[in-house]
Amino acid sequence: MKFEPAKFLPGGDHFMLVQFGDDASIDLNFMALGLTAALKAAALPGVVDTNPSYNSLVVEYESDDISYADLQTQLERLIGGLGSVEELELDSRLAYLPVMYLDPWTRECVADYSEKITRRGDDPDFVARENGLEDAKQLARVHSGTEHWVVAVCSTPGLPLMRALDPRCALTSPKYNPPRTWTTLGAIGVGGLSTSIYTTPGPGGYNLIGRTPVPLWDPRQRHPIFKHRVVLLDAADRVKFVPIGEEEFGYIEARVADGSYEFNITAYQRFSVGAYKKWVASLNADGRF
Amino acid sequence: MTGSVEVLKPGLETCVQDYPGRKGAFGMGFPPSGPLDAWSFRLANILVGNAAGAAALECQFIGPALKFTASAVVSVCGGDMAAKLDGAPVALWQSIAVNAGQALELGSALTGARTYLAIAGVDTPPFLGSRSTFVLGECGGLDGAALKVGGEIPVGVGNGAPGRKVIEKCRPAISQNHRWQIEVCAGPNDDWIDAAGQKRFLESEWKLSPKSNRVGFRLEGPEWTFTDKATNKAPENGSDPSNTIDHGYPIGAINLCGQTPIILLHDTLTLGGFINPFTVPSCAFWKLGQSRPGDIYDFELVSVAEAQARKRAINALCGEDSIEAA
Repeated sequence: MKFEPAKFLPGGDHFMLVQFGDDASIDLNFMALGLTAALKAAALPGVVDTNPSYNSLVVEYESDDISYADLQTQLERLIGGLGSVEELELDSRLAYLPVMYLDPWTRECVADYSEKITRRGDDPDFVARENGLEDAKQLARVHSGTEHWVVAVCSTPGLPLMRALDPRCALTSPKYNPPRTWTTLGAIGVGGLSTSIYTTPGPGGYNLIGRTPVPLWDPRQRHPIFKHRVVLLDAADRVKFVPIGEEEFGYIEARVADGSYEFNITAYQRFSVGAYKKWVASLNADGRF
Repeated sequence: MTGSVEVLKPGLETCVQDYPGRKGAFGMGFPPSGPLDAWSFRLANILVGNAAGAAALECQFIGPALKFTASAVVSVCGGDMAAKLDGAPVALWQSIAVNAGQALELGSALTGARTYLAIAGVDTPPFLGSRSTFVLGECGGLDGAALKVGGEIPVGVGNGAPGRKVIEKCRPAISQNHRWQIEVCAGPNDDWIDAAGQKRFLESEWKLSPKSNRVGFRLEGPEWTFTDKATNKAPENGSDPSNTIDHGYPIGAINLCGQTPIILLHDTLTLGGFINPFTVPSCAFWKLGQSRPGDIYDFELVSVAEAQARKRAINALCGEDSIEAA
C-alpha cells in the first residue's frame, strides 16, 4: 500500500526513515530515488547522506545543523515537488554485463553448501521449478530477456539490488535458510523479487544461477574505469545480462586482470517512469520468453 | 619530519580509524567505519595536537607493539591496556614524547575493551575521503586491513607537545562492574513489537554475546513478541515476524533477526530485510566500544531530542578546554 502522505520515522539521533509505502511496488522505489535526486540537487545544510531501498529512504542528518522537525518539513516540501510517480524522470545508464549462466563455479558453491550445511539440489533447477519454467535453460533466457533496474547499491560495496523491469521476466524464489557461509565472487543470485551480484566472497541467501567475470567495484582502483568512481553502478542504473560461454568467460577474465577490458555502459539517459508504466500496461504480463 | 612506525606485534585487529569516518557513501554500499568510542578517540588526538578527527589507531582487546623510527608525540586513551614504553609504564590520558628507536607496547585490556593510540600525523592514504579501515571492504587504513607484523604506518609532520593531560571529569567513565546503561530511541520499527515486548526489552538485562565485532553486537536476553503488523503482512516481507522488505539500516539500529537482536555498528551491512524496533543513538556508542562479551546492558529509553542533547554534551568535551598541563 502506498502511504499518502509518506511516513517519517526516527532512527536514533541522526537518521530518519522515510517510508513511501509498505509493499514492493516498484513505484515506491521510483519515489525513493526521486527524493534521493531531489535531496542531492537541494544540497540542504545538515543532510549528510541517503540510503534508498525498495519502498523507503534512510536520510542521515547532523542535528547541530538541522532539527528533526525541520528536516521532515524540507522532505515534505521536496516530495511535494516530485509530483506524481508518472511525472518522475531519473538519470539512468544501461550497463551490459556478461554472465555465464549455469556455470561450474557457483554450482560448486551450492554443492559445498549441500554437503556441509543443508542438502539441496541445483539452484537454477529450483528457481525454474518455483517459477513454472521448463528448465534451467529457459531460466537463463527469461533472466537475460530484460533490463534489470538497480533499486539500490547496498549491503556490501558496489552490490546492486535489482529487479526485472519487464514483468514477463520477473522471478520470485525463497532465499536460503540457513544462509550460505561463503559465495562465489561475481555470482548472480536471485531471491525474493531481486537479482543481485555478489561483490565480496561473504555469506548470502540468494539462489545462484550464474557468474559474471566483470568486477563491480575495486578498492585498489586498478582498472581505469575505477579511477574516478569506486563502484560501477548507481541506484537507478539498469543492467542487461549478456549470456556467454566458458571460453568467453576466461577471455574476459584475462582482459579484466590485465586492465584492457572495455566496460560497456551507456551515457546517462532520462528514464521516464510514465513511459515505462505505459509500456508495461501494454504487455501480456503472463507471457514468458 | 616524516617517518614511520613499525609493527612488531599487531594486537587483535588493530586498525587505523578517523572520525567521523567514511560519510556519504551509503549509496555505494559502504558503512561509515570509524572509532566505536569516538569520545576517547578524539581526546587522544587533541592531546597530541592533531585535529580531533585525525587518523589514529583503534586497539581492540589486545593492543599492538610498535617501534618508532623517528621521535614522536603519542597518547593512549580509553581502556587500560597497561601501555609500556621500553618497559616503563605509560600513563593513560596524557601526551608523551617517544624517541626514535623506542618501542611502545600495549597488552590486554584491563578495563574497557578499546584503547586509542594517537600519534601526531598518521598519514595512510584516504579512500573515499576517509582513512578509516573497513576490514570487510578491504579498504582504508593500512592496505585495507588490520595491522600486520612488519607493517609500516606512515607518519607525517606533527606539532604535538608532551606533558598534556585530559582533565579527569572530561574523560568517559569506563564501567568497572561490567554493567552499562545504554540509551535507546524508539523506532523506526517499534510498532512491530507489542507493548509487552517493548516493556520486556526496556526492563530486562541483555548480555553482550561473544559473537560480536565491529559489524554488530549480538545480545542475549528474553523473547520478543510482536504486533499484527509483524505477523499479518504481505508475503513479499518474508515469513518470519522480524522480516520486512529490504530497507536501509541506521547505524546503531537494534536489528532483530528472528529472536536475536544485533546492534548494528560502524562496519555494518548498510541494508537488509530485518526490522529495527529501537536505535542506539551516538551518545551511547562510547559505552558500546568499551564493553566486552559477557557485560550487561540496561537500556534507557530517551527521546530523539534528549539523545541529540547528550551527543552535544559529549562533543563539547572533545576540545582543548578538556586539556590541562600534566
